[in-house]
Amino acid sequence: MDISVTVLYFGAAEATTGRKEEEFLAGDTASLRRQLITRYPDLARLPFRMALNRTLLKEESVLQKSDIIAILPPFQGG
Amino acid sequence: MKNRYLVGGPITPILVSELMTLGNDDTGTGAVSIFIGRVRDDEAAGRRVTAIEYSAYEEMAGKEADEIVRTVKSAFSDVRSVIIVHSLGLVKAGEASLFIMVTSGHRDQGTRACRHTLEMVKERLPIWKKELF
Repeated sequence: MDISVTVLYFGAAEATTGRKEEEFLAGDTASLRRQLITRYPDLARLPFRMALNRTLLKEESVLQKSDIIAILPPFQGG
Repeated sequence: MKNRYLVGGPITPILVSELMTLGNDDTGTGAVSIFIGRVRDDEAAGRRVTAIEYSAYEEMAGKEADEIVRTVKSAFSDVRSVIIVHSLGLVKAGEASLFIMVTSGHRDQGTRACRHTLEMVKERLPIWKKELF
């Protein structure tokens, strides 16, 4: 079942989408990933990882209501 | 400061001197190892960087920095404290954007832990930069 989740964009992902955050309906992170690339094809050219509720995602995961997913391009701190 | 790890704007000499007093009451510390990262005026496509604008996923950065401190302390038994401060927002070329300080009983573990902390900061803190020319 699709759940409403919040997606946050950072760094080059924010520049690519022109948004800081957005709501999506998705059942899992794989489905969300597909929707993101469909809506923003340029994201496919950007290497990015995802964080689920502030933890870096190591494998695709089922989504729960009110989950927060962050789109994280390569880190550039330092 | 936005949280204990993030500060708006450059890491000023005044802030550095304040941070250096942290742990002064711990008389078991014999070594203080500090790394300061500064914005470099790199050249890109014939233009010089004049400043960098940093942004972060602040909530995750706090959690990851907590984890880095825990990891470094457990990997180096002689380490007594680990301080990490990163800039957010605008930092001009020549100004500091990263401060790492490790206090330890002796120099060997302290200097190695400082380097290790730096590498983990670069690898794990969700921070991004936009170069301004």
